[in-house]
Amino acid sequence: MSRSITLGQYFPGRSLIHRMNPRLKILSLLVVLALLFSLQTYPGLAGLLVIVLAMITTTRVPFRYFLKGLRPIFYIALFALVIYFFFTSGGVVLLRVGFITVESEGVREGIFVILRLVTLVLFSLLLTLTTTPLSLTYGLGYFLRPLRYIGLPTEEVAMIMAIALRFIPTLMEESQRLMRAQVSRGADFETGSIFRRAKSLVPLIVPLFVSAFRRADELALAMEARGYRIGALRTRMHEDTIAPRDWAVLAVVVAMLVASLTLGL
Amino acid sequence: MFIGTEKLTHTYMPGTPFANEALKEVTFQLKKGEIALVIGPSGSGKSTLIQHLNGLLKPTSGQVLFEGRTVGSDKAELLKLRKRIGLVFQMPEEQFFSETVYDEVAFAPRNLGFAENEVQTSVTGALQEVGLDPDALLDRHPFQLSSGQKRLVALAAVLSFKPEVLILDEPTAGLDSFSRANLFNLLAVLNRNTGLTILICTHHLDEAAALAETVFVLKQGRLVLNGPTSEIFSKREQLHKLGLGLPAVTEIMYWLAEEGLDVRTDIYTLEGARQEINKLKGRQEK
Repeated sequence: MSRSITLGQYFPGRSLIHRMNPRLKILSLLVVLALLFSLQTYPGLAGLLVIVLAMITTTRVPFRYFLKGLRPIFYIALFALVIYFFFTSGGVVLLRVGFITVESEGVREGIFVILRLVTLVLFSLLLTLTTTPLSLTYGLGYFLRPLRYIGLPTEEVAMIMAIALRFIPTLMEESQRLMRAQVSRGADFETGSIFRRAKSLVPLIVPLFVSAFRRADELALAMEARGYRIGALRTRMHEDTIAPRDWAVLAVVVAMLVASLTLGL
Repeated sequence: MFIGTEKLTHTYMPGTPFANEALKEVTFQLKKGEIALVIGPSGSGKSTLIQHLNGLLKPTSGQVLFEGRTVGSDKAELLKLRKRIGLVFQMPEEQFFSETVYDEVAFAPRNLGFAENEVQTSVTGALQEVGLDPDALLDRHPFQLSSGQKRLVALAAVLSFKPEVLILDEPTAGLDSFSRANLFNLLAVLNRNTGLTILICTHHLDEAAALAETVFVLKQGRLVLNGPTSEIFSKREQLHKLGLGLPAVTEIMYWLAEEGLDVRTDIYTLEGARQEINKLKGRQEK
């Protein structure tokens, strides 16, 4: 029974952005972030916001997924707004309440900072919503590779993360199955005091642990049977290929960064 | 009608790109005291269907019926339902969590409000019903038992609250042929002695077919065939098209018939096959 559980935020699709090479996607995002912080003018920022909104449309990921991702920054944005509104001086005084004044320079900068934050989160969501967690892990693992030369086991860390990601849905499915099984035996996970409820979790947690250890054992055996060794060089079954258009995307964002720096946008 | 469903549809994760319609308008019913099989290829919705019969899933549309009444989603009502309909999950020994066989089997009766002295008699009773010796096992750790014994303890853990309907999901998965035969035999005895209504999802048709009066065939969430066992297994072409096999005996009878021998092909028990072959011998000797 293949009942996938959404993990991370990945939203499947076939758009160009979905299919872009994960390593270059990560690299391009980093360049875009640098670009975001180099932009100092409203037209420049508005342009970038339009670009990210246009990109979002091409992915066919429903916009509500992006809104959901924006929710956590709501309070940060509100806080920033308050700070800028009340503590930045300059320009025309727009509002005066007692000794507190809101001046036009503060409003201008506050809104600018929030727009920048929103654009930043939208670009990041564009990466996480269109890339499977596994590709993301391997992509990040690739950039961590140089750390191998100072003795960090980056390949192994990537493997551990990939395995953990691989088993989260499995364990979630398993705990759901176990919960139903114990409920069919009259178990009640929902009522009673906290102490009672904690105790009622024993029939769930013990079997979950037993199966997790069994799975780990079986996986270790299966990996060794296929010649897995710590520290050995490995190739991947699905090598990610870099298409010319992936390079083109990177070239475009780098060009944009250079342009913004030289033109002072 | 004792238990059944009416146009039951179930969609997993509706409204997401992972939405998956596991059951499509399934209508079926079981008579009191009968043994029925649910067969179908993997992913055909068998497990989803039987979880509905225990109120573990909520229908997307349609309903589950028990004694002619729609099963609601009220908690007290569901608990009452689960007291009367026992569900044995796939690989039920993976649910074990207690330190003794006694506690494991006593879990359900305790949850369902049995008094402690009733619990005791129901635990020993249930172990005896599955052919285990309570004195030898009660204090053992459930993880120490053999896989065949574990499966029987898991079965006893459901029989302990004396359900009127027993639903089993692949009860013989992972068992050796001896334990398998033993388990099916046990179910037949339970049904004969106590009138227990039994619904079995299984891939092991050879042993299971001989027990069942009725067979339901699921394919991609739809109930595509249902009827008396002999009738279902006489639809060889159709079953093959659905990706399902016949019990080995039935298949052999078809081969004999294809060789031009005059035998019936609606046979699904060893005993039936023996009678047919004896008839053949009788005719030859004449």
